Amino acid sequence: MIEVRELTKRYGPTSAVDGLSFEVRPGAVTGFLGPNGAGKSTTLRILLGLQRPTSGEALIGGLRYDQICRPLRRVGAVLDAGAAHPGRTAFTHLAGLARSNGIAGDRVTTVLEEVGLASVAHQRVGRFSLGMRQRLGIAAALLGDPAVIVLDEPVNGLDAAGIRWIRSTLRALAAEGRTVLLSSHLMSEMAVTADHVLIIGRGRLVEETSVAELRSRFERDVLVRSPRAPELSHVLTGLGATVTVTGDGDLVVAGAGAPAVGEAAAAASIPLHGLTARSATLEDVYLRMTEEAADFQAAPERPARS
Amino acid sequence: MSTLQDTVAAEWIKIRSLRSTSAFLAGGVVAMLLGGLILFLLVQSYDAASAADRLNYETADPTVVTMPFVAFFVGAIGAMSVTSEFTTGSIGAALLAVPRRRVLLGAKAAVAALVGGAAGAGFSLMAFADARLMLGNRPAPLNPWPRWTDAVPTVLAAAVVVLVTCVVGLGLGAVMRSTAATLTTLGGLVLVAPIFAHFLPTTWQLRFGSILLPNLAPQLAGGDHPWLLSQGGAVAAAAAYVVLALGAGAVSFGRRDIS
Repeated sequence: MIEVRELTKRYGPTSAVDGLSFEVRPGAVTGFLGPNGAGKSTTLRILLGLQRPTSGEALIGGLRYDQICRPLRRVGAVLDAGAAHPGRTAFTHLAGLARSNGIAGDRVTTVLEEVGLASVAHQRVGRFSLGMRQRLGIAAALLGDPAVIVLDEPVNGLDAAGIRWIRSTLRALAAEGRTVLLSSHLMSEMAVTADHVLIIGRGRLVEETSVAELRSRFERDVLVRSPRAPELSHVLTGLGATVTVTGDGDLVVAGAGAPAVGEAAAAASIPLHGLTARSATLEDVYLRMTEEAADFQAAPERPARS
Repeated sequence: MSTLQDTVAAEWIKIRSLRSTSAFLAGGVVAMLLGGLILFLLVQSYDAASAADRLNYETADPTVVTMPFVAFFVGAIGAMSVTSEFTTGSIGAALLAVPRRRVLLGAKAAVAALVGGAAGAGFSLMAFADARLMLGNRPAPLNPWPRWTDAVPTVLAAAVVVLVTCVVGLGLGAVMRSTAATLTTLGGLVLVAPIFAHFLPTTWQLRFGSILLPNLAPQLAGGDHPWLLSQGGAVAAAAAYVVLALGAGAVSFGRRDIS
């Protein structure tokens, strides 16, 4: 269980995170979504004790990260692929981490096998591809068999096979009852990986919902083309639908499905030249939401910290 | 909480698996060999000199010729144990494992002291054994140690100075975070400052020179030297270096965010 309460982080006059509150529950993959610079990484870094909040708190299992006894046994985190020293081998990198948290040495071999790096365990990390380093990061996160897993942009720079591997790994970890929080700036990635999403923009929570709910909420409107559009608009409004007129004179109808629009037009003997049910992509929805979030604060743009 | 003992053990694994550690130890070996060569040439020239000239020879003391370079190389190991983590980004992984920064820095300091002490003792013992073998039974002032046992305080003092330098390197690294800046500063402190001191008027040369790290060795050992500190004063100065470096390192490391 992760709890973030009224978290604020300011750099001079700009707020990277601005009164952010949310909870992340076990047994599901929660996506932490927002454009570059929205404050995702800052929030995760505060959660993991690498940065200090200006105010508010971020707790894991009720404790601040630096209060957790042998934290690798409770929380596994992947912050960036470069987090291992390139001069060390994968094995010594993990052996050092394991030793610091009193984790048995044979876990190192186990997790290296789990992530498919057993054959390169004694190669220097500097020779690894980005995908291999991501796998090593996940191996480090799994070392202490933690109940909470936090990943910052885990699919950045990965090829399709790597992305699929991370996705199935995370889903499997959540299915085991663990708390999984991952950040991303890609809605399309979250749509297939996450159960819940926390959408933030400009350091504030914009939306907290399930992916399914988000999809259904923004799914339906109907594009209608008719030579007698104003008349049809009147009829549809009478049925309780919301109608807007596009620049081309077409109607966009929300609150009534395509069958209802077709039947209403037939009943009123209004000819139709086109009738299209449209669903906004999650990506569109997400961009619209985060653009709005960007509008309610006029602070200057910070350099992107994803 | 992660115990300090576990963290020290982990830091030991880390420092051993850094390639720079063996590179800097090799640097120490080279410094020792070069120092030995210089002493060899000094002894040869001494043998060729007249009896009157021989009285003007300086002491063939490895603390002057060899040990400052050894201290620099071993100090660099201490520095790299923290700066290499900042420059490679692996500091994030280190702090995820040990989030209490003072525990992490304390463990690094313990390992730096261990490495510094052991390497310092090893190198200074070898440097002095080498010097003693070359000097044979030649008299003072070239040979200040008529018997082997006379060199023991100097050997120990030289080892302590290397230990302190290694811990100072770590503290500087924790403050500066950059390898280049830390090694330059360490080099300035250990190798350049004593040269700079020579350009000062004598009183100031003595005052300033007495508190410089390499010059603490003869003052810690006691015996004949031109500097101002008593043995106790030298111990206090060495302790002050450790406290200042680690204190500044702890404050800086503890307060600043890791990006």
